[in-house]
Amino acid sequence: MASLVRSWIPLLVLQSFLFAIAFGSTQVEEFSEALLLKPLPDRKVLAHFHFENRAPPSNSHGRHHHLFPKAISQLVQKFRVKEMELSFTQGRWNHEHWGGFDPLSSMNAKPVGVELWAVFDVPQSQVDTSWKNLTHALSGLFCASINFLESSTSYAAPTWGFGTNSDKLRYGSLPREAVCTENLTPWLKLLPCRDKDGISALMNRPSVYRGFYHSQRLHLSTVESGQEGLGSGIVLEQSLTVVLQPDTTSIETNIQPSWSLSSLFGRKVVGRCVLANSSHVYLQLEGRLGQESKNVDTEIEAHKLWKNADFELSFKPDRVLRESSSFLFIFDIDNASDSEPFDLGLTWKVPSKWSCQQAPLHASRFLMGSGNERGAIAILLKATESQESSPVRELTDGRCTIKANVFQIFPWYIKVYYHTLQIFVDQQLKTDSEVLKKINVSPSTDKVSSGMLEIMLELPCEVKSAAISIEYDKGFLHIDEYPPDANQGFDIPSALISFPNHHASLDFQEELSKSPLISSFKEKSLVRSYTEVLLVPLTTPDFSMPYNVITITCTIFALYFGSLLNVLRRRIGEEERFLKSQG
Amino acid sequence: MKILMLVMLLCYSFASSSGDTTIHTNNWAVLVCTSRFWFNYRHMANTLSLYRTVKRLGIPDERIILMLADDMACNARNEYPAQVFNNENHKLNLYGDNVEVDYRGYEVTVENFLRVLTGRHENAVPRSKRLLSDEGSHILLYMTGHGGDEFLKFQDAEELQSHDLADAVKQMKEKRRFKELMIMVDTCQAATLFNQLQSPGVLAIGSSLKGENSYSHHLDSDIGVSVVDRFTYYTLAFFERLNIYDNASLNSLFRSYDPKLLMSTAYYRTDLYQPHLVEVPVTNFFGSVMETIHTNSAYKAFSSKTSNSKINSEMPLNQLSEDDELQKANIPNDELKTEKQKCPYTQMRVDLQEKLEKLENVDTVVNLSIAVMFIVVMVSSSLL
Repeated sequence: MASLVRSWIPLLVLQSFLFAIAFGSTQVEEFSEALLLKPLPDRKVLAHFHFENRAPPSNSHGRHHHLFPKAISQLVQKFRVKEMELSFTQGRWNHEHWGGFDPLSSMNAKPVGVELWAVFDVPQSQVDTSWKNLTHALSGLFCASINFLESSTSYAAPTWGFGTNSDKLRYGSLPREAVCTENLTPWLKLLPCRDKDGISALMNRPSVYRGFYHSQRLHLSTVESGQEGLGSGIVLEQSLTVVLQPDTTSIETNIQPSWSLSSLFGRKVVGRCVLANSSHVYLQLEGRLGQESKNVDTEIEAHKLWKNADFELSFKPDRVLRESSSFLFIFDIDNASDSEPFDLGLTWKVPSKWSCQQAPLHASRFLMGSGNERGAIAILLKATESQESSPVRELTDGRCTIKANVFQIFPWYIKVYYHTLQIFVDQQLKTDSEVLKKINVSPSTDKVSSGMLEIMLELPCEVKSAAISIEYDKGFLHIDEYPPDANQGFDIPSALISFPNHHASLDFQEELSKSPLISSFKEKSLVRSYTEVLLVPLTTPDFSMPYNVITITCTIFALYFGSLLNVLRRRIGEEERFLKSQG
Repeated sequence: MKILMLVMLLCYSFASSSGDTTIHTNNWAVLVCTSRFWFNYRHMANTLSLYRTVKRLGIPDERIILMLADDMACNARNEYPAQVFNNENHKLNLYGDNVEVDYRGYEVTVENFLRVLTGRHENAVPRSKRLLSDEGSHILLYMTGHGGDEFLKFQDAEELQSHDLADAVKQMKEKRRFKELMIMVDTCQAATLFNQLQSPGVLAIGSSLKGENSYSHHLDSDIGVSVVDRFTYYTLAFFERLNIYDNASLNSLFRSYDPKLLMSTAYYRTDLYQPHLVEVPVTNFFGSVMETIHTNSAYKAFSSKTSNSKINSEMPLNQLSEDDELQKANIPNDELKTEKQKCPYTQMRVDLQEKLEKLENVDTVVNLSIAVMFIVVMVSSSLL
């Protein structure tokens, strides 16, 4: 009898295990990879790598992960992060040519250097401690000096200007942080296939960093399960956006350069990451091309989509999606192998021109004034061409208006006088009540906290330009606070301009795609753009001054005492007598 | 009995603090490039070359603290983005796909450097930025940058003085953060940086004597700056011939430096380091090669400990009372014996306890030991 029971036990265990699998199938970790390629109007190519990793809600204790990176889930649990975004960027997003009104640019056009924001799920009093610990942990994880964001002089707590309304939000950025392979490597190690297989194998470091723009982003959000006893699920989104210049060997300069994956990255896709639920490569073509061949339905016409008089693709797309102003070719890379690598190429045959949709206003920022004592910062918003045709228009009291939020952090040594805030609309000075809807100011405290300015403007739709200017005094730093290259100047972090009534999304008519990249494009995202980083020269002391003073003083003292002694003690007559007596 | 216990305890603590009895269990490397700005490219290349070498010879990334004061690989002036070369033939990219920089840019300061050495960090500092060595660690400390008489410049803004270095090393010794430490410095007048070192178990080598400059090896006209220093270049030339299984000694490394090629005189200080350089393989510091101990059965503490217990109970007594000369003479023997025994810390304690329990004639032992002490003190004082 006993032996019978014993032989049953493993079977029971197996059975319960199978049951667990069968019922828990919705609760598995999912990973997907995607690459979006997009030729840009200024003869460049944008490559956007997108990886999404989902961990289902589960008991927070004794959690086991198959695909999801343990480092990240520990981070979330330890610091109780509700949402977080970390980006490493070099280069500046060209809003004019690369677009400013699509989900890609509103999510991936990031300020230079490191930007970090996080929302915590802790009591208000512990938010700052959590932030501090998080910056240290991230600095260890990503080989960057993110820990400089721990000091209260370098971060701020935006209220509504940032777009996410939470009193447990912290935001900080390091404009001068270098971004290089040592940041990319740990980021790649979070992927289940690392950079060994699948789409991520394309990331040849020299090609990625040779680009005009590269931004490496990590977005983390927790999803509440809503069930008792279960923790929350985590969605980890990793994306790398690079803008590359294809090698042009063609003599005809007006034809867009032709490229292929191997010419851009020096590598080919030789297979998918087997751990991924979906691996796709997308090619987005914008503008004229899309509009021309709008109503194509039959098989032959569809074939013409990718091999026509304008351009030719080297692979047949598996599907084609249509959007109002663009086409999306979808390629499955399941069949790619070592013998048959997937090396998508695009060959242009005739010159073509198109433009990207732009944000309603183009933002730029500059410094005014001269000298090392005071100055002014100006933010200029200029109407773009696309504004006329902008589909989103807000009517307030019968007037057509554009809302724009400006969010800006000032380091404490830029002592801003908030009463000097002036707003010009079409070169006309406006009173606050006319255009300024909302303002939130938190002044800086010397060496303790940074200043923050959030303003909401409501501009008429027909506006040509709007300018905001604010004056400041330059502060003095303690001698220990100067960085080693103080003469280079100090950076003021980028200002963020967002348009709360404008949302970008790609609206594919056909189907509901399962791909996370497409679904993220379908979601409406806030249109936002970052301005340039400003370089402010501060008065820097001559660091060798103390040594100079010491040497000069010593010399003077030596000369003074030497000659005085000479005058007082020397007996010239006696010396002469002594010499004579000797002679 | 109490007195004896006290004496024994003292001896015991002395013996364990000397650290001779612990075996070499792990390797760490702290590699520091202290120079900022593009024209100091070669210093970063030096450091990364050493990084590559120690990684190749078996020290894992989590046991290497790499400090780089500036970003050369993705510098706008670098014609080869994400690549750093130490030779104009550009055959070897030092900044490959797997570089972990622990401290970089403005973080490379004298304060952080001393914090890493002494292990005094804020609580929030992650493990990857800490030197988590212990009393069985061999540490390689490599520094390169611009230096002068008894100082090394950090970022062109601060200085690390030879006193600071010596104090940090002393503190490390007291905190039992290393068994053996090798300091390798490639700067002008590097030898002067070691002047103040006093801690035992420290081996130091510098690229040049006082009054001498350390020169760069060659200029890469594509990159536009010098890419490697002479001392590091010839160090690498030595290591490139080696793999992890080679048994080259430190002595052969030190002998390989030719003053004519270096254009300076490599100086090494060995008076604080007891083992003979001929017998020490380079992988003791530049690699991670552990001695494997074969056991037929499952792991348990060592069984044959008779001679070892003798050392524990007698040698420290002598060490306490004898003068310096005698001690010096004793240490090599002690070292040799312990090298053979490789006794672990716990076993020693057990032995001591056993010995204490076995002692029957307590009074005679006390008297004897006092007599021995008197004799020794008399001998030493008469010698003086």
